[in-house]
Amino acid sequence: MSQKGFSALLIGLVALIVAWSSLFVISERERAVQLRFGQLVKDDIQPGLHIKIPFVDNVRVFDARLQNLEVPSERFLTLEQKAVIVDSYIKWRIDDVSRFYRATAGDLFRANTLLSQRAESRMRNKFGALTLNEVVSGQRDRLMNEITNELNSVARDELGVTVIDVRVKKIDLPPQVSDSVYERMSSERDKEAQEYRSKGLEMAEGIRANADREQRVIMANAYRDAEMIRGDGDAKAAEIYAKAFRQDPEFYAFTRSLEAYRKSFNSTGDIMLLEPDSDFFNYLNNKSGK
Amino acid sequence: MAWNEPGGNNQDPWGGGNKGKNQGPPDLDDALRKLQDKLNSLFGGGKSGGKSGGNSGGGNSASSGSSSGMFVGVLILAAVAYIWNAVYTVDEKERAVILRFGQFHQTVEPGLHIYFPPFETKYQEKVTELRTYNLRQQMLTEDENIVEVSMSVQYNIGDVKSYVLNVAKPLISLEEASQSALRHVVGSSEMYQVLTEGRETMGVEVRKRLQDYQDAYGTGLKVNKVNIESAQPPKEVQAAFDDVIRAREDEQRAKNRADAYANKVVPEARGQAQRELEEANAYRDELVARAEGEADRFLKLLSEYRREPNVTRERLYLETMESVLGTTSKVLVDVEGGNNMMYLPLDRLNQPRQAGQSTDGSSGLSQQDLSNIANQVTEELNRRVSSARSSTGRTTR
Repeated sequence: MSQKGFSALLIGLVALIVAWSSLFVISERERAVQLRFGQLVKDDIQPGLHIKIPFVDNVRVFDARLQNLEVPSERFLTLEQKAVIVDSYIKWRIDDVSRFYRATAGDLFRANTLLSQRAESRMRNKFGALTLNEVVSGQRDRLMNEITNELNSVARDELGVTVIDVRVKKIDLPPQVSDSVYERMSSERDKEAQEYRSKGLEMAEGIRANADREQRVIMANAYRDAEMIRGDGDAKAAEIYAKAFRQDPEFYAFTRSLEAYRKSFNSTGDIMLLEPDSDFFNYLNNKSGK
Repeated sequence: MAWNEPGGNNQDPWGGGNKGKNQGPPDLDDALRKLQDKLNSLFGGGKSGGKSGGNSGGGNSASSGSSSGMFVGVLILAAVAYIWNAVYTVDEKERAVILRFGQFHQTVEPGLHIYFPPFETKYQEKVTELRTYNLRQQMLTEDENIVEVSMSVQYNIGDVKSYVLNVAKPLISLEEASQSALRHVVGSSEMYQVLTEGRETMGVEVRKRLQDYQDAYGTGLKVNKVNIESAQPPKEVQAAFDDVIRAREDEQRAKNRADAYANKVVPEARGQAQRELEEANAYRDELVARAEGEADRFLKLLSEYRREPNVTRERLYLETMESVLGTTSKVLVDVEGGNNMMYLPLDRLNQPRQAGQSTDGSSGLSQQDLSNIANQVTEELNRRVSSARSSTGRTTR
């Protein structure tokens, strides 16, 4: 009984070990190939539970998720020979597991190196055909799509990977160029500031001149109107006088002269040197008046 | 071919038997008991064989009882530990993804759950929690200027299955995509747009672009909001930018001062103009009124004059002369008869009156002058009276 039990248990254990080593699980995150003595017998093993022959079959498992490859900073020249420092990244995933295994022996690092080398040469060509402005602004999407597509076709054939996206992260100017950009920006701002100040003075001068003009025009108009009004008064007064005095000019001359005398000699400072035989002194020397 | 390909669950190598064992405690106990029996016999046999050769029956039974009890205890402990480990809670803010034999099995909602390692794998993530990624960098604009932009990205996990299964490093993906999207948008904008009013629209654009990237990569991340927190010129040129702001203020100030000047000058001119016109009006009205008055007066006088011309004329003449001579100083000179060699110190004649007018108290000197003149004149008159026929008189007021 005990010997029998022992052997049964032993068999059970061995069976367990064999079962354990003959079964393997591929997760949703992974893909695998199955090799038999180095020969590829099963390609692109899907997620799930699988069996293999222990010690004979060898399973190589790869990360099937989207991989992120940071391409190190590279210095490129644009069409107008401006240097730019470009950081980019590549998103790729394993597409054809067997091809991938053959091309890279399943080494992600190796795959990354191959991809980034290929991407770099393509980007260098593209950047060399575009101006800095085109690279930085409008053309960026188109540029990246072209590089992605080109890289993708090559990578699929050679490496068995799909390139989902190639994207420029940074496009920066080298530090010494940055300095000159800063200087240009500063000088542009100086220009702008000067323009504002001068515009201010211009406007101020304009406003002042306008005000001065308005003042003079107002005053001149007022003078004109005032003179016209005064003229009116003069004319009207002259008319009134003439109308009245026309009736007896001689008497008018008489009364007016008297009035004038009265006004002319109205202060004690005036000294009159008189002849005694003037009309007024008729009776001064002679009471008969003759 | 896989044992458990989709739709082929019945091919599971553990099969119904395994499920049955796991289903009910009685079966499990039964199985354990069987296993324990086997082990007991095995170990018991081994021991009896190795240690004590003769006394096998009794010793065997005794040791088998104690070791089996210990073994059961260990198994129960192991079972408890397993269960303890297999039972898990999913928080309200979390979701869990369960893979069974590597294949996606289900996404687990909040609550108390159990899973069965190593046949199942569990990935538990905080999905509703908003996470933030902050970024502050200098970058080029469309017009080849450099600006410094800081941005924050708020995101959470929208699709936990994608997040867990699709992408190797989802968060790094998001960070790199954020940088790329921001630089793309800034690179497509002019510097002034970035620095001033463009921030709101830029945030929207970056968010859209970033979400597109995430969808393309299948990271399962959901970008909720992108804030462009600040956009500044780099510190190397900050001073120049500040100067532009000052220059704008200067411009406004110059304009304001000029406006103030204009606001002073023009209304004042209008006021003066008004005064000028009013004075002219006054002049005219005055002149006309006076003319009317004088004319009327003249006409009234004229009508009286026509009734008695000579008398009126004489009266007017005399009254006027009286008034005139009453106020003035006068000297009567008989020019005809006398010789013309007459000396009149006219300047002196003026003085006393002026002095008398200006200062009443200090009229002493002028009084003296006055009497001097009077004496002179009197002398002259006396001389004439004695020499010739008529006399000349002089009076001062």
